[in-house]
Amino acid sequence: MDTSPLQFDIAPSSGVPIYRQIVDQVVALVAGGRLTPGDFLPSVRQVAQTADVNPMTVSKAYGLLESDGVVERIRGQGMCVSATATSGPLAERREQAQQLLAPAIHRARLLGLTDKQIRALFEASLKDSAK
Amino acid sequence: MNQLSQPAVLADGLCKSFAAKQVLSNLDLALAPGTVLGLLGANGSGKTTLIKCLLGLFRTSGGRAQIFGEDAWNLSATTKERIGYVPQEVATYPWMRVRHVIDYTAAFYPRWNRELVADLCRRWRLPLDERSGSLSVGQLQTLGIVLALGHEPELLILDEPVASLDPGARREFLRTLIDLVEHPDRTVLFSTHITSDLERVASQIALLRDGQIEFCGELDLLKDRVKRLRILAPDALPASFAVAGALSCQVDGKLAVATVADFSPQEIDELRQTWNADVTVSDLNLEEIFVELHDSESPKLSQGELTGAVR
Repeated sequence: MDTSPLQFDIAPSSGVPIYRQIVDQVVALVAGGRLTPGDFLPSVRQVAQTADVNPMTVSKAYGLLESDGVVERIRGQGMCVSATATSGPLAERREQAQQLLAPAIHRARLLGLTDKQIRALFEASLKDSAK
Repeated sequence: MNQLSQPAVLADGLCKSFAAKQVLSNLDLALAPGTVLGLLGANGSGKTTLIKCLLGLFRTSGGRAQIFGEDAWNLSATTKERIGYVPQEVATYPWMRVRHVIDYTAAFYPRWNRELVADLCRRWRLPLDERSGSLSVGQLQTLGIVLALGHEPELLILDEPVASLDPGARREFLRTLIDLVEHPDRTVLFSTHITSDLERVASQIALLRDGQIEFCGELDLLKDRVKRLRILAPDALPASFAVAGALSCQVDGKLAVATVADFSPQEIDELRQTWNADVTVSDLNLEEIFVELHDSESPKLSQGELTGAVR
């Protein structure tokens, strides 16, 4: 299946370089199962034109994804999510979730909450979201 | 092979003074073919002077300025054909109609892409039958860009090309640049104050300060390395508290905010351990980095500090 270039949410004026935003988003899409082996990434040109960014930056991101083994370059067709990309998705997903949690824990401590209170809050939020 | 090693634009020990006032002093800059370089600098830092020296519109007071290996002051006609230039203030003959200004300019070039020009005029809604003297500043600027692109130059130099453009026209300009640089040998140098435009198209950033290039390198590397740290210690930090290599550091009781030019996770761990502190790291965008570098009184950001490999 082809992926729409609109899948990427690129913020050029963020402090995170654009190539890294693309890499992170592809990894997240793969880890979350929204991109599966055999899916093609949108072409460099499509992404560059949709997001109005330099195509070299997109190429750089795709090159890194290729060297990390997340995607494979298929001659004449583009970048394809590799069969091995899904190995160990849990570790990947855990790491990402941890990165999201760390600042929240930090802020909670700044608000003067104890670890016990934070844990209770986390449990309560978890229950809430399951409803 | 020579083409590969030769920079499209080169400044080597470039100096420029106007009477007693030195604007550029011993400035070095090299642009490899295929680079899109954004030139940043405060008002009056010498961006226009640098561009005019590079183009041979100003005679340098010392050092070398070269384009495609030729002395900028003595550019041959064939080299000039390879250059497109949009000045800060576009000047045309006010009595000429826009279409005639275009035809007049086209006549100077052996190669002129009429289709491209017609397409650009449509995209920018340039009123072809109006006299150029009645155009608004922004329309005149877009006309200047169209005139600089008609001969499909390998090297495009633009001096604040978007200063008078509305956001829609600015975005159209960026799209044009993005289309242009799809061709891997095209080189672009443009000065601007609009950092968000550079973030979209520039691969390299050069910062002009005190007549020299303070930093020239990849935008991505700059964003990867320049970070702001917020350090929260359990007790008040001493007034002497400092972070090694920081561009700025403010201490207020238990809290310190520092901007580092060369972020490393080990350094953060050290800070955490030494001061038993909570350290958070935040990313800075180009505008924030520009202000930090510009306000910083610390010595120049050394090239060495920012040449580490990108992960």
